Amino acid sequence: MSSNFTRFCKLEAVPPGSNKALKVNDTWVLVCHTKERLFAVSGICSHQAKPLFSGRVRNCKITCPVHGARFDLATGEALDLPATRPIPVYELRLVDDWIEVCV
Amino acid sequence: MKQTIREDTQIFAPGDARCPDEPSTQDIIARDKVAAPAWVRSESYSFLGDEDISIDRYIDAAFAKQEFDKLWTRTWQFACREEHIPEIGDYYVYDIGRHSFIVTRVAEHDIRAYYNACLHRGTKLRASGSDGCASEFKCSFHGWSWNLDGTLREAVCDWDFPHVKAEAFSLPEARVELLGGFVFINMDPAAPSLPDYLGPEFMAHITQWKLEDRYVYCHVYKTIPANWKLNMEAFMEAYHVINTHPQVAVSNADANSQYDIYGEHVDRFISSLGVLSPHLRGQYTEQDILDRFTIGDASMLGGADRTLANGETARQRMADIMREMFEKATNTDLSQVSDAELLDCFSYTLFPNTFLFPGISLPMVYRFRPHKDDHRKSIYEVMFLRPLPVDGSRPEPAEPVYLRDDQSFTEADGMDPGFGAILDQDTENLLLQQEGLEASAKGGITLGNYQEIRIRHFERAVDKYLVE
Repeated sequence: MSSNFTRFCKLEAVPPGSNKALKVNDTWVLVCHTKERLFAVSGICSHQAKPLFSGRVRNCKITCPVHGARFDLATGEALDLPATRPIPVYELRLVDDWIEVCV
Repeated sequence: MKQTIREDTQIFAPGDARCPDEPSTQDIIARDKVAAPAWVRSESYSFLGDEDISIDRYIDAAFAKQEFDKLWTRTWQFACREEHIPEIGDYYVYDIGRHSFIVTRVAEHDIRAYYNACLHRGTKLRASGSDGCASEFKCSFHGWSWNLDGTLREAVCDWDFPHVKAEAFSLPEARVELLGGFVFINMDPAAPSLPDYLGPEFMAHITQWKLEDRYVYCHVYKTIPANWKLNMEAFMEAYHVINTHPQVAVSNADANSQYDIYGEHVDRFISSLGVLSPHLRGQYTEQDILDRFTIGDASMLGGADRTLANGETARQRMADIMREMFEKATNTDLSQVSDAELLDCFSYTLFPNTFLFPGISLPMVYRFRPHKDDHRKSIYEVMFLRPLPVDGSRPEPAEPVYLRDDQSFTEADGMDPGFGAILDQDTENLLLQQEGLEASAKGGITLGNYQEIRIRHFERAVDKYLVE
């Protein structure tokens, strides 16, 4: 299955406490590096398709900066209105200091 | 303590009697090795009458509606901790009944509370129970938006709203004041300032606690099947300990706890730990007391030596153990903290709905709110505040745990199992009390003059707001 993984960026480009969004195969992917671990989720909110890129991450949850919908980074589950649908989450792995995601 | 009516009761004026033949809380604290500060070593009790308290306040939906109209709209309420909104643009939604507020940091030293409703057609700008960070507050319906400072940013298709003047369309605000790291709000423009509301005596206490230098490391929600006032009153006295919490009575000076009132809105008790309940006099040794010591945050005590030397007291050993172990476990400096502050249960009520426990072993904050649609239910929150690490870092506040009605407090992440069991015992009585009051042939509840003074003091404040 390794062929499904795509290089995202160098690990050093997403230090702990930061997010990075890039298009992978025409899909916006957001990588969040929390104190706990790295997560890869959709970069687009399920509510009104606004970018999640600058959303605040706390306790492994991201908040949409536009209307405040919140999502679990591990499962994609929508935790607060106005979102009711989850966001996609993607597998992520580290290979030779590179972050790779499976989209 | 065995007799139920003492023959010498009549020699005391009402409210003057204390647990007979036992040391007072002040006597116990005065023997400690590391002396307590003045806010601990003071008393402030007054007799407030002994008439029954009417039960309609607990069982009548119309009474609850009056509370929403007259009490909750005029009192200072703890909305969130400053650490919940550390960055500019961070916000936290606080609800009380139908009211909802976006509490947000507009600038480094400017926190505001906006009524959480779009001024166009009313949609909440942020969902209840949510928090996050925003650069603007944009309505999800038609997209009207407001700047962080509450001024109108955009009315979409403003050509269609020539009657909307930006200067009249800033988000309405409740008042905000900060104290000890807590953000308080009040909907009443005519209310006294927070320091005046809490009074000078209490202000002299809280300013010494440095609660702004603590952080929330555990936060639990649970809906309780009882009126919010019954829920609160379950925590206002140590009178129930011997019956409701027999497992802790061996190391808890319950019947000789101290009760104090400060002005109209603050009261407290001090319940000394590491000493035997007067109810159990002569039945246990000092070693037994030490062996059965239960505290709120026992996780960090590890495998401390709990064998007493000859003449050593359980209370002193426990203070010594706690100082050493808590310092190690939390990376904090407790060398200047008194034995009483380390050990004892200091329970303060800030009317209407907040309890502060400034101690080290019992470092809780409780918040109680009525269910917005059901006067027979209330929302109970327990937070534990730990001192900040000495390295200067500030951990993020804990993510709240929402317990189901059938779950035990012991199931919440971060909750000490022994303390969770105590909270289960406290709240298990409440449905029976709610239903019992509804079934009662008696029109009121009857209170002890001393041990239940906080309940009388609290209900006097409720009455004050409903009458005025």
